[in-house]
Amino acid sequence: MTTYILRRLVQTLMVIVILSYVCFSLMTLMPGDPVELMISANPKITQEDVVRLRAFYGLDQPTYVRYFNWVGEIAKGDLGYSRTYRIPVTEMMGPSLKATFVLSMGSLIFSILIGVPLGIYCALKPNSKMDYVVNMFNFGGISLPSFFLGIVLIIIFSVGLGWLPAGGYQTTGMHYDSWFAEMLDKAKYLILPILSLSVQSIGRFSRFARSAMVEAMRNDFIRTARAKGMSEKVVIWKHGFRNALIPLITIVAISFSSVFSGALITESLFAYPGVGRLIYTSIIGNDFNVAMISFIISIAMVLVMNLVADLLYGAADPRISYK
Amino acid sequence: MSQAETLTTTPQATADLKSIETSQTFFQIVYSQFKEHKAAVVGAYLILFFVLVAVFAPAIEWATGTDSDSQNVFNRYKPPFSKIVASQDVRENQIQTFIQANPTDAAAIQQQLLEKNLVQPIRPEDALYDWVNLEKSKAISVIQSLDTSKKDQLVKMVNNFQSFHLFGTDELGRDVLMRLVYGTRVSIGVGILVALASAVIGLIIGSLAGYYGGVIDTILMRLTDSLLSLPTLPVLVVIAAIDLKKVLGGLVEFANSWFGATAGNFTQEIVNSIFSGGKESIYKLVFILCLFSWMTVARLIRGAILSLREREFILASKTLGATDFTIIVRHMFPNVIAPLLVSVTLGVGDSILFEAALSYLGLGIQPPMPSWGNMLFNAQELIYQAPFLAILPGVLIFLVVVSFNFLGDGLQDAIDPKTVRR
Repeated sequence: MTTYILRRLVQTLMVIVILSYVCFSLMTLMPGDPVELMISANPKITQEDVVRLRAFYGLDQPTYVRYFNWVGEIAKGDLGYSRTYRIPVTEMMGPSLKATFVLSMGSLIFSILIGVPLGIYCALKPNSKMDYVVNMFNFGGISLPSFFLGIVLIIIFSVGLGWLPAGGYQTTGMHYDSWFAEMLDKAKYLILPILSLSVQSIGRFSRFARSAMVEAMRNDFIRTARAKGMSEKVVIWKHGFRNALIPLITIVAISFSSVFSGALITESLFAYPGVGRLIYTSIIGNDFNVAMISFIISIAMVLVMNLVADLLYGAADPRISYK
Repeated sequence: MSQAETLTTTPQATADLKSIETSQTFFQIVYSQFKEHKAAVVGAYLILFFVLVAVFAPAIEWATGTDSDSQNVFNRYKPPFSKIVASQDVRENQIQTFIQANPTDAAAIQQQLLEKNLVQPIRPEDALYDWVNLEKSKAISVIQSLDTSKKDQLVKMVNNFQSFHLFGTDELGRDVLMRLVYGTRVSIGVGILVALASAVIGLIIGSLAGYYGGVIDTILMRLTDSLLSLPTLPVLVVIAAIDLKKVLGGLVEFANSWFGATAGNFTQEIVNSIFSGGKESIYKLVFILCLFSWMTVARLIRGAILSLREREFILASKTLGATDFTIIVRHMFPNVIAPLLVSVTLGVGDSILFEAALSYLGLGIQPPMPSWGNMLFNAQELIYQAPFLAILPGVLIFLVVVSFNFLGDGLQDAIDPKTVRR
């Protein structure tokens, strides 16, 4: 078990290192390096200045040398400055990570709470009218682009009805009397993003929950349990659901990656200050330090979640042993 | 049973009996199963409709007389079903600029107009101004009867004076219907291209990993798993932001220094041709999406090939001395086509969604070329002035993606009877 976790951790770390190098070299291929931006900002700049600046920032060196310099700085705890916001990257990451975590987790929990019961209900009453309707809804949910749903929600609830804010994180200039008032205010800004982010995963969870449950209820031990005269409740929840849980945990855990990735677009649409939006705006704004760090941290987060999912999988299914 | 009874059976009954007795081919079975899935059939028809729209986009442009690029700043954000008729001064301004730009042509046209007595101006030099104020169909028939090289330009000008916009106009006064029609081309084209290309990549990687096993399998599957575990959108955003000119410039230099000047020039020519059509954002997008969509196909194919490898007919062809290539391509591929088809169909929907997402973020298809995603990108800032601009492209994305998903589901049910919902 311990060796398994260790091996997986080393693997994850390797993926992160390789990706950070790939990402670093990709950044050099993006339009506009720091010196090019200075050239465009200052028309009087001379050729000697350009050469001197390039040497000063180390831009005249090959990519791998720059990469190792950059890693060295990070190892010393210096993540660099954001060029757009003029503050250290360390100060930016904390709040945005928290915001994204709240959004993704909120969406994940919301979609599990809606999707899984729907799927189980349909599995217990296959081919009913409800099953048919839910199946249609699932297909719709999987196929609906989250950004389009977000725009429609804004049009209905913010532009049309004026009930909910169209975007942001909290009401600006607000003084909170209590933590409860603060939470309530922030929750108001979370409703639309969570809704638009969840639709796809609700559809996916509900489909998987249905097929997993149908599969589980077909087992011979279900018939045995019924034959023993157990109540339907015990048969469904203790014998059926417990077994349906195993494939469900996998799909929920894998979904963290897709919810997190979908958060990028939802955050951009709702101007929600999370990591996804940070990645997007920093890449668009040539803010390389921020882009690199936020990209690597979000990838590390997803990979660690995948690892946790694999471990949970073992906890749910005793047949699986870690070698 | 007597002989007479058998003889009296009607020819119809014999035919029925015969149809039962003859075995159905695989695709006949699949087709009859597929027809049971109503949603999939509807999806297939919808896809057919959109593909036809994409193929016949120029014909639609010709039939409606509007095009996707002509801008009209005076008529922005018109609601659906609006008819726009240009005012007299707009018309006269435009014909004036035309006369100033082509004085000789204009003089020739004026001469012909007067000779054939097609317009009756008070002063002879007003002939063109009179013509431009004619009703649209009459003005076009008049100009068609004349002999001039500027005919197309003038017809286009008159067409723009009076236009009908089924879905209204966008923020630059362009016709939304025509932009949606050309957007269909881009979105469905990119979706199908990416799905096919990633099927080929997945087929190659999956069959190599599955057939050879061992180290090759370990390396390829580790790669597949790591790519699958990444959050797709952030990775796509990072890659989509790279500057194509820098990459291709590097490629040209590389070819120059390693393979000599001829190779360098050849690469340069290819690069130039990529940039000349204004379509470089499509090539870039297809390439990027291909990089990140072959993994599911590869895993599927690997699984299928792993089980095929143990079958007797593979052993037989090995014994007969078939090469690995023959075994994989001739004997294994036909057996994986059915699941591959399902996976490709589902992949088209996903690719269309990713194309739309990237274009929506401004990193995919670049304007002025319309795609449903970048139409949404333009429309999201205008949801107060013109909400319908955001609704239409989104609904089309949804319809196409849901159709492909239903089609894939129907094919899956038809091909693999084990998964049929009971």
